Amino acid sequence: MPALSSTMTEGKIVEWLKKPGDKVERGESVLVVESDKADMDVESFNEGYLAAVLMPAGGTAPVGETIGLIVETQAEIAEVQAKAPTGGAAAVPAPAAAPAPAAAPAPAPAPAPVAAAPAPVVAAPPAPVASGRVVASPRAKKLASQHGVALETLRGSGPHGRIQAEDVERALGLTVAVPRVAEGSAPAAAASGNGAAAPAPAPAGDAFGRPGESVSFNTLQNAVNRNMIASLEVPCFRVGYTITTTKLDAFYKQVKSKGVTMTALLAKAVGVVLARHPQVNAATSADGGAMSFPAGVNVAVAVAMEDGGLITPVLANADKTDIYSLARNWADLVSRARSKQLQPEEYSTGTFTLSNLGMFGVDRFDAILPPGTGAILAVAASRPTVVAGKDGSMRVANQMQVNLTCDHRVIYGAHAAAFLKDLAQLIETNPESLAI
Amino acid sequence: MISTTADAICFEPAGLIAFPLAWSWQQQLQQRLLADPGGPDSLLLLEHEPCYTLGRGADPAFLGFDPADPPAPLFRIDRGGEVTHHCPGQLVLYPVLNLQRHGADLHLYLRELEGVVIDLLMELGLQGERVEGLTGVWLEGQKVAAIGVGARRWISQHGLALNVEADLAGFAQVVPCGIADRPVGRLLDWRPELSAAVLRPLLLQCFSRRFGLTLRPPTPQEALQGW
Repeated sequence: MPALSSTMTEGKIVEWLKKPGDKVERGESVLVVESDKADMDVESFNEGYLAAVLMPAGGTAPVGETIGLIVETQAEIAEVQAKAPTGGAAAVPAPAAAPAPAAAPAPAPAPAPVAAAPAPVVAAPPAPVASGRVVASPRAKKLASQHGVALETLRGSGPHGRIQAEDVERALGLTVAVPRVAEGSAPAAAASGNGAAAPAPAPAGDAFGRPGESVSFNTLQNAVNRNMIASLEVPCFRVGYTITTTKLDAFYKQVKSKGVTMTALLAKAVGVVLARHPQVNAATSADGGAMSFPAGVNVAVAVAMEDGGLITPVLANADKTDIYSLARNWADLVSRARSKQLQPEEYSTGTFTLSNLGMFGVDRFDAILPPGTGAILAVAASRPTVVAGKDGSMRVANQMQVNLTCDHRVIYGAHAAAFLKDLAQLIETNPESLAI
Repeated sequence: MISTTADAICFEPAGLIAFPLAWSWQQQLQQRLLADPGGPDSLLLLEHEPCYTLGRGADPAFLGFDPADPPAPLFRIDRGGEVTHHCPGQLVLYPVLNLQRHGADLHLYLRELEGVVIDLLMELGLQGERVEGLTGVWLEGQKVAAIGVGARRWISQHGLALNVEADLAGFAQVVPCGIADRPVGRLLDWRPELSAAVLRPLLLQCFSRRFGLTLRPPTPQEALQGW
């Protein structure tokens, strides 16, 4: 289910314009999605065949949920359909109950996941995995890794044998949580062995494990760990600055209705100032023997992932890109980051990183320098503050603290200070220039 | 608000327009933008002959008549939303825009269309309102503007219908937008001196301001078929 708006959480499928088995050209409309009073034709990014419809017309699915499968060859259609409980997938009252909104947005750009296990109709020993891949919901994968359950040994109860979190819980003998049932779908097939009990109250903060457990790091978390350990080899120092944001906040209010986000504005501001301070955009070369000056200003912005780890999607050429495009690019990067669809160059080519915790009200923090870059800027919340003037006057202004972490081999205190002074001046006196 | 200097072509056909004709014009304009997404946005402002339209996913249960024998022509069209009614005295605005240039966000687009009407009402000294979950513009609890859009590759179609001096009787035969408990209103009941003709330039002005588009008449090459 594609996101047609930053405020869209779910969409209704009005109509499938293609039937399972139909050929789909690149750019051809496959279905119509409605959200609020707006319809959008959704097109396939790739040529192929619509193999299965997992959410029939009239159904509602959360953004990011897989709603159909597109395969590359006709042969794969049969493979997918053979695994559908009733052949014609449109007839499946698909329980849209995958609790985690993830997976590829339909039209899946890659040859879509071919279900690993056959229809979950008859209880039988697990079938050999035909394609060598196991299809499971993200939450199921997480649960399985937490509890050491081999997914290959499970039978999926989801569409086309997709392994759902409930299947893992059942295997563990845990109570099956009440699945989320999307509006308009048939009752989810979630009758559990011991009667569905109410889910335990969720804790307020995120945690990857339960009390008393030890949970292995996932791939992404391990990748972050490697980077963090590597950063200990880098001689870092930190410089802080307080920036008055009254004008920036006013300007943000003006452009918000045009879809511009604070992230886009900050990335643009940092990009413009970096272009004037190439030393702060530079990094120590991989062999430690030189300073490398990148060809462009690529601002990476840290994003925490729901299932652990973080990723730093890159706003390429942030200094030269207008704020509207930056905002759009950012929305696209984040939605694809959530569905694990970013290409490596989209998260590994940053020349400078922004980390913003302002939205949580954090008033100051510092960040760890990602390897291969020279600096990272930690941005805290903007808050009304009493400011004393040189003449002894007092006024209230919005202020935020920023904190720059730098690799001292490349960036010296004076470079960092000059960069921050220029950034502050731009934000404090002339944020409107960011629109140009 | 950021001012842009982009042009948009404004088509203002005179008289009452049959729905299928206006729809074919929108489709022509949409096709042009699909073929050349960098081309100019455009806008149709018109009044319709009486008719009813249903969104693609609309529920016929909200019709108060037999769909096979409607009191006025009935069309199922490619927009979101439930049934609505068009008739003389109602200004209909159909922007055909490349929404990639306007935020690429369908909800934002709906809110901006509401904003156009709210701006217009403010010019008249009236306070139009949005109601969360009920897209459209409301004036003292009555719905004066209905909104429904459709898009393909972010090129929009359909838009908003503002009741100025419309005879509201036609709305009684349906449940407009599927909302049974809230009445439909028209501006004439607040400002008796108003007419649709008088409001046309003001509506265009409000649209132009909010979307940062400078409206201009079509060139001969940009003429529509069936005009």
